[in-house]
Amino acid sequence: MCVGVPMKVVEINYPMAVAEAKGVRRNISIMLLPEDEVKVGDYVIVHVGNAIEIIDEKDAEEIWKVLDEVMAILDEEEG
Amino acid sequence: MKERVEKLIKAIHEITPKDRKIKIMNVCGSHEHTITHSGMRSLMPENVELVPGPGCPVCVCSESDIINAINLSKRDDTILVTYGDMLRVPTQIGSIRSNGRNYKMVSAPHEVLKIAKENSDKNVVFFSIGFETTTAPTAALIETGLPENVTILTSQKLTPEIMEILVKDSEVGVDAFVAPGHVSAIVGANAWKVFPEKYGIPTVVAGFEPENLLLAIFRILLQIKEGIAELENVYRGVVKPEGNRKAQELMYKYFEKTDVNWRGIGYIPESGLEFRKEYDHINAKKVFNLPEIEEKKVPGCICDRIVLGKAYPDECKLFGTACTPRDPKGPCMVSMEGACNIWYRFGTR
Repeated sequence: MCVGVPMKVVEINYPMAVAEAKGVRRNISIMLLPEDEVKVGDYVIVHVGNAIEIIDEKDAEEIWKVLDEVMAILDEEEG
Repeated sequence: MKERVEKLIKAIHEITPKDRKIKIMNVCGSHEHTITHSGMRSLMPENVELVPGPGCPVCVCSESDIINAINLSKRDDTILVTYGDMLRVPTQIGSIRSNGRNYKMVSAPHEVLKIAKENSDKNVVFFSIGFETTTAPTAALIETGLPENVTILTSQKLTPEIMEILVKDSEVGVDAFVAPGHVSAIVGANAWKVFPEKYGIPTVVAGFEPENLLLAIFRILLQIKEGIAELENVYRGVVKPEGNRKAQELMYKYFEKTDVNWRGIGYIPESGLEFRKEYDHINAKKVFNLPEIEEKKVPGCICDRIVLGKAYPDECKLFGTACTPRDPKGPCMVSMEGACNIWYRFGTR
């Protein structure tokens, strides 16, 4: 629940947006970021469907490295 | 990366004072995950203890709130909506999944809007639990505009406040904190200043990648070696000193600090957020006149001590035998963020 996922903003219809990660698109809320601060192409940290902070691409990649491991473990357990 | 990690571990061994035990607490399930999964404990000097603290919102959600949620889901006119992790948390009357009736799972608060629209003849109650990272999204949902049939059952806790309780508890004996990265993105790195400044406890905000976490531990040990206590932030790409101002404003627009009940621990002054009086009409506790139900401890479960860093998961008699992720007896075994769940998955220390 507290796991934050980095995603790339691909469409904005404030306070909602469409964001993408690993080829998956999701509707997210960007209400927690000021309207004039978030732009298409930005990377954001998403918690329970809400962007909580804008980050740069490098940080997004670092965080995904850890998440990929977690996902692999979950897949193993479900499979 | 491997080289840098090895260098960091070597440096940690070199600088660590060996004359006493050093207890470094993390307060985030994702930190505990990284530590356990990477085997970081075994790489530390013998006198350095990495202890998980109250980093699991599901683990500390009061039993009374969950029982109220179960009972709401049994009403014909009501649908209870909450996060997936909450469905399996055991209580004295079972879990939402085992004993509830009308319930739906969401992964984001705004999904409540669709459920409310499709069920306009029903009361939709969103059971909002968690720390700042879930509370701010709930505030965002309210700000977006709640449909008339939606109310919110809150069980929201504050991280810096529980950490201050831990500091004052001599049985815990925390020497330093690794502060949680994403909670800090909301509350700001400065929210932890109280620990070095008032209590002399080195505190470093860290991300979740093993190297970043090792860097945080190195910085902490360096402070201890030099006999200083400061606030540092090694997760600067994500965490600003002041945090997310808009998220803070929205949280405190709808909610205010109050005494809340931590499962197994009891009421802690000003340690959570509850609706302000003017929002009684969307506060499920008021709308449905929900009672406070007395907590019953799960026999043998020591989750309360584990959450406070007073015991490790493998010290519990139920751990891995009667209590497993498939059949959790206590709340710490339920979610991916619970210390017992993490230790069970990765084979303890």
